[in-house]
Amino acid sequence: MKPMSSPPEDPHGGKAPADPHNTPRVTIRIEEAIAAAAMALICVITFANVVVRYLTNASFAFTEEISVFLLVVLTLVGAAAAFARDRNIRVDFFVLKLPKALRYALELAGMALSAVLFTMVAWFGWRFFIDDWKYETTSPGLGIPQAVYSIWLTVLAVLIVARIAGRLVRLGRHR
Amino acid sequence: MTALLFGGFLLLLLAGVPLATALGISGAAVILLADLGAMSIAANVYSSLAKYPLLALPVFILAGMIFERAGVAAKLVAFVAALIGPRRGAQGAVAIIVCMFLGGISGSGPADAAAVAMVMLPSMTRQGYPPAFSASLIAAAGSTAILIPPSIAFVIFTVLVPQVSVPALFAAGMIPGILAGLSLLVPAFVFARRYGWGAEDGAERQRLLAVLKDASWGLAAPVIILGGLRTGAFTPTEAAVVAVFYGLFVGTVVYRTIDARKLYRVLVDSAEISAVVMLIIACAGIFAHAGSTLGAFDAMAKAMLGVTDEPWLMLVMIMALLLVAGMLLDAASIFLIFLPILIPVVNAFGWDMTWFAVLMTMNMAIGQFTPPMAVNLLVTTRIAGIGIETTVRWVLWMVLSMLSALALVAAFPQLALWLPARLGY
Repeated sequence: MKPMSSPPEDPHGGKAPADPHNTPRVTIRIEEAIAAAAMALICVITFANVVVRYLTNASFAFTEEISVFLLVVLTLVGAAAAFARDRNIRVDFFVLKLPKALRYALELAGMALSAVLFTMVAWFGWRFFIDDWKYETTSPGLGIPQAVYSIWLTVLAVLIVARIAGRLVRLGRHR
Repeated sequence: MTALLFGGFLLLLLAGVPLATALGISGAAVILLADLGAMSIAANVYSSLAKYPLLALPVFILAGMIFERAGVAAKLVAFVAALIGPRRGAQGAVAIIVCMFLGGISGSGPADAAAVAMVMLPSMTRQGYPPAFSASLIAAAGSTAILIPPSIAFVIFTVLVPQVSVPALFAAGMIPGILAGLSLLVPAFVFARRYGWGAEDGAERQRLLAVLKDASWGLAAPVIILGGLRTGAFTPTEAAVVAVFYGLFVGTVVYRTIDARKLYRVLVDSAEISAVVMLIIACAGIFAHAGSTLGAFDAMAKAMLGVTDEPWLMLVMIMALLLVAGMLLDAASIFLIFLPILIPVVNAFGWDMTWFAVLMTMNMAIGQFTPPMAVNLLVTTRIAGIGIETTVRWVLWMVLSMLSALALVAAFPQLALWLPARLGY
């Protein structure tokens, strides 16, 4: 597998030449900013919770609902960036031993399967949202419509599919 | 269907398909073909992620990264080096001990190994240690990060097996983690003596008190994290958040190594690494739903139980399987794939789940530096600028050392279970 955490800066200074397959034209800075903001918000909300609990003995545990939602956003938005840059965890040990043409075909197939998977998530997620909307389900903590949360599963799954499609296009272009 | 689920997944995995996709698509295919309710594909993605205990995962990753980027490793190295003093083999021992300390702040093996390698590789090379040896030693010592609390791997284990609590598992990992680290001192000292590495009149010795003052900020981090958990004042997520803010204070006010730009970068990087792990958790939700609804996990467990009813043989078999899996994959992924099958086996033999979690994680730790596929070794050899194959003659001794630590914990479960029992978890 590939290392999950690379050293923050390349110790030898120079950067490896950018792989054209892993540099999307539509910048992923937007996804980065959203994921970073979700991470920061999770920390701030949780920390505020700790402070308030100590000062007032009251808890606003309902904020858990927001934090957990932010966790979903962080994951799916971060995953979109990871697909665009091929940062996902995979076993490349055996693939690297294959001839180049076969490797390329497998790479395409893997990306296509990923697109199929997240299209399904988007589609069935949409049906979920429709259910939440129709039956006016409310969230357990804040009592707001559950649909406010569930719509994002579809939206972000579509974003992931778009990023995978972008990578497929780049793979096709720079064979 | 069972064959399609496991066979399809394995085939996709070995074909280099992203692990998340391999899990999700084989699960989804079975759900659609066996008509298990297509809506569950989306529902499981959401419900696997939307769990409060899982919040601890990204926050612990962030906390570890903040300390790493604050430059805590260099200060710890200076302190431990001054503590041990100049003697033969000292540098190797310093590397091991600093890796273990950092493991008490971060819960990721490759991150730990990278931080220490960047600080220690140049100085070890100056003292005559071959880079291949130093890279092996630091890769091995860095793997203790997933055993010594806080540990990302343990957080994921408790999300999957809710009857085990995070504080209990953190406590259980402490002694085995230290044991695993200390086991590496043997090859470090033996080789240093045999080949005469490490000049006895090494670098100029710094004053202990001065370096202690610098390092104390880092040394206090594990105390804050574990202390908060111990008193029950914090949930694991809250303990991690407190560590984040403490790390920010150290990085911005004390060491002045983190500015606004770096802070943003650390948020982005930690979010991305967390997302990659949690996407696998989300897709493993689809796989697990398919497997448990089909009864495929129970069938696999039964097949395993049919092989032998000798607990020792079973344990050795499972450990061997996990060791190989640990070379290919990280701990989080292995828990997600294997736990549904292994939990019935553990229950059938009446093994303690906490102890078993520690044994599993020790295998993953060893897998992190066993060539040819080893994340930690990949990171340290890249920093050293050498090929991974040059490390084989050294690193195998370290695998052997840590395997003996594993054997000890397997033979004496109290090594893992004494501390949590003592602390009353």
